[in-house]
Amino acid sequence: MRKIFFILSTLVVLSMILSACAPQTPTAAPVTQAPATQAPATEAPTQEPTPAGFKSKDPTTLVVAVFGEPETLDPALAYETAGGEIIQNVYEPLIFYKGDQPGEFVPMLAESWTISEDGTTYTFKIRKGVKFHEGGDLTPEDVAYTFQRGLLFGGTAGPQWLLAEPFFGTGIDDISLLVDPEGNLYDDREGIKAADPEKLKAACQKVKDAIVADNDNWTVTMKLAQPWGPFLATIAQTWGSVMDKEWVIEHGGWDGSCDTWQNYYAIPSEEDPFTPIANGTGPFKLDHWTQGQEIVLVRNENYWREPAKLQRVVIKKVDEWGTRFAMLQAGDADFVAVPPENRPQVDEMVGERCEFDLQANTYKPCVETDPNKPLRLYVGQPGVTRTDIFLNFNIAETSNYVGSGKLDGNGIPRDFFSDVHIRKAFAYCFDWDTYIEDVFRGEAVQSPVIPLVGMPGYEPDAPKYSFDKAKCEQEFKLADLDKDGIPAGEDPEGDVWTTGFRLQALYNQGNTTRQTISEILASNINSVNDKFIIETVGLPWPAFLRTIRNKEAPYFVSGWQEDIHDPHNWYVPYLIGTYAGRQNLPSDLKAQFKELINKGVAETDPAKRHEIYKQLNALFYENVPTILLAVATSHAYEPRYVEGVIRNPLFPGFYYYTISKK
Amino acid sequence: MITYIIRRLLLVPFLLFGVTVLIFAMLQLLTPVERASLYTRDLPKNEKALEGFIKIYGLDRPLYEQYWRWLVGVRDPQTGERRGGILFGDFGWSRTGSQPVAQLIAQRFPNTVDLTLWAVAPVILVGIWLGVQAAVHHNGWIDQAGRIFSIIGTSFPTFVFGLLVLMAFYAKLGWFPPGRVSDWANAVINSPSFHPYTRLLTIDALLNGRLDVFLDALRHMFLPILTLSYINWATFLRVTRSSMLETLRQEYVTTARAKGLPERDVIYKHARPNAMIPVVTLAGFSVVGLLGGVVITETVFNYPGIGSAAAAAASQLDVVTTLGFALFNGFILIVANLVVDVLYAYIDPRVRLS
Repeated sequence: MRKIFFILSTLVVLSMILSACAPQTPTAAPVTQAPATQAPATEAPTQEPTPAGFKSKDPTTLVVAVFGEPETLDPALAYETAGGEIIQNVYEPLIFYKGDQPGEFVPMLAESWTISEDGTTYTFKIRKGVKFHEGGDLTPEDVAYTFQRGLLFGGTAGPQWLLAEPFFGTGIDDISLLVDPEGNLYDDREGIKAADPEKLKAACQKVKDAIVADNDNWTVTMKLAQPWGPFLATIAQTWGSVMDKEWVIEHGGWDGSCDTWQNYYAIPSEEDPFTPIANGTGPFKLDHWTQGQEIVLVRNENYWREPAKLQRVVIKKVDEWGTRFAMLQAGDADFVAVPPENRPQVDEMVGERCEFDLQANTYKPCVETDPNKPLRLYVGQPGVTRTDIFLNFNIAETSNYVGSGKLDGNGIPRDFFSDVHIRKAFAYCFDWDTYIEDVFRGEAVQSPVIPLVGMPGYEPDAPKYSFDKAKCEQEFKLADLDKDGIPAGEDPEGDVWTTGFRLQALYNQGNTTRQTISEILASNINSVNDKFIIETVGLPWPAFLRTIRNKEAPYFVSGWQEDIHDPHNWYVPYLIGTYAGRQNLPSDLKAQFKELINKGVAETDPAKRHEIYKQLNALFYENVPTILLAVATSHAYEPRYVEGVIRNPLFPGFYYYTISKK
Repeated sequence: MITYIIRRLLLVPFLLFGVTVLIFAMLQLLTPVERASLYTRDLPKNEKALEGFIKIYGLDRPLYEQYWRWLVGVRDPQTGERRGGILFGDFGWSRTGSQPVAQLIAQRFPNTVDLTLWAVAPVILVGIWLGVQAAVHHNGWIDQAGRIFSIIGTSFPTFVFGLLVLMAFYAKLGWFPPGRVSDWANAVINSPSFHPYTRLLTIDALLNGRLDVFLDALRHMFLPILTLSYINWATFLRVTRSSMLETLRQEYVTTARAKGLPERDVIYKHARPNAMIPVVTLAGFSVVGLLGGVVITETVFNYPGIGSAAAAAASQLDVVTTLGFALFNGFILIVANLVVDVLYAYIDPRVRLS
């Protein structure tokens, strides 16, 4: 027995060691990876940023290691970046971004387009000779069907609200509002099936009348409810991707009839037949998606343009940073997701640096810093997300975070932040420099206004708040919380300055950025007056969500990531939409905001829009319902043997068509 | 014996039912909005989306209704089709796995079994052998070295050891990569000519006559098994050693020696089988633990077993998946423990006859 055990164990161990000697690939030996340290520094001319020495293990396949996974591959429903990346490479919209510019567009499945005088009618001439991966031909009918299907799909979990507004009118963000204007049918799949059939048919017909295919002229005409500045930006995104009508119907999608659309409303991703499959016109086909492990794309040899340079793209799900880093060092992964705290580790492998030029809105030519190091680093491009501090004007009665609930030094009244001087005081007490240094290692830019760099409405020199303890103190003294008409600094009966206050600031556990923001603000305010007490509290995710939703937080730190590169996508949630609701903004203030927002979106001339938004910015600055923080700038790595990566901040992931490896 | 087994097996459904009620009861301590928070990763862009989740998943229905719904599913009022229901094999949809939970388990469990299969010999058998040697050469250099080795092993966190060997053997040397198989082997496995007889990759590779795929799979399993081994050898060494030492002190061992039996027979035929009793229990628990999925090892080496899937689900608050895994794990544990108990009774006549 003993002998058998011994032999068995030895055999097992031996076979494993033997297996290490097994061939890594059965194909011809690929080029070896460039040695990182052995070769002496060769003469790299300063003009040539990429020495010919850096080669990849396999130039035909790109390997990416990430930690996320798509939720769905249905373009009508996908509203996150992992799914968006696959859709952008496998499907195609009518128009696409011009290179790395987030606001300029070029033809894609639409050869050309015209916009009517009044700005409400868009006519797209569809490209001929384009085939879907499964063999179908692209026709105007497919385009019209895709947009109709999307609008009728609706639902609040997805991106259709961005298309609903231009087609139905501002404020109408879901097809269910056409059936029940009171808003009781949002996401109600059973309710909508039971609705009045006449109303259902009418809603569907409205959609079909707005989006019309013309098979003789090979065009699609879209009629909007009003002129819509951001319309082109909206349809260039993944939710504007064109699907093959016959294929969709074959696989269980809406059959195109106004009698059945209600059965396909607000389908969740788990029941959507198009979650795991894809059939587009794009430069890559979906080879397979092994859920939880990897997604593989293969080149579309019948692409309507020059086929892609890469033959395969393998996107692997690797949750552990250490493992991703090991893969990067071994050369088994070309791109890996690098969390900000691990950047110093990867920075040591950087041999080439490319800086962003804010004026030209593109990257400058790259400069070599070390001829032997294998990575290239891109820095300085402003991102498209921002985290801000949202003040609650009218805290809910049920809140546990307002202390005593009264102005007695041990709490705050529920309308604490309704006083503009309190809001200004908090704004002056936030230290942007420390925030940018601590959280972003200096790689971020303070936002003076709500929209981002390069959009109408962005004013780099607009008046903005900055860290000024003196002004912070001054504003507290100007506040009048007991509403007796006398500012707190001079009030003989006492007010917030002499009485003090206490409240709790909330962030969700585990989110260190939001924690840092809460702590910076709290420590500065606490230091202005020792009667001011702010405690920072980390809540578990479900409790945090419930608290925000029930409007119980005195203020909360949250973020927004833009869907389209347009000021409308920023002003709406902040001033009249989602956040305005969570902050209980007073209705008269919202009305003022709404008037300017509606004017701005209907204007198609960017210069005129800018003037309108300047007024909006001024109104925002005066009222400061939200303290705007900073936008992070890029810090992205790529191997030096990779070429052609388009760094457009609006891309959900990589656009593999233009990428090649040496 | 048979009645013992049958009685134990009959308890299984009740135990599982109890587990699910407990988990469900804990969930009910949350409000509907908090339960909706499990379906979204950050504050939703549209406030109405939360209401949407509550509506779609019936999160505000009473506890018993939600439990019943989970147990037997819902019937579509229009088509009469039943959707969902644990009793019908529908464990629900895994948000983190992007597929039905049952499918996720079916996809990942064979990988864990495969790893367990190949880990048993190195982890358990070598561990036992080390322990026996340490006991037989009591206080010799093997014993001393073994004890130091075991202290280091128990105190080394799996995570640290795993990353260290990954850096050394993969990043620097490139010998043993993480993951399940290489891309070229994956293409072979997914091709129509490859028949998945058992869904255990190594066995299937051999049955399909693909030695290269077999060796590739082993190569990827080397580091996880090395990690598991090092952590567990310590325990096996210690338990075997002390059990062996105690057995060697027994009177019947002295008698055997006095009878003039060769030392080898004394140790391996008489002493060791009796010393194995506590070790078998430990080995049984080890196998059960391995089958349950070794979370940290699988995560570090990106090995697609049920451990890494369950960990991803738990960390992202994917309740449906976690519930499914809890049920599945519970079932495996109960059955595996039963097997261990039966084996135990079989090996030790004293238990059998009592």
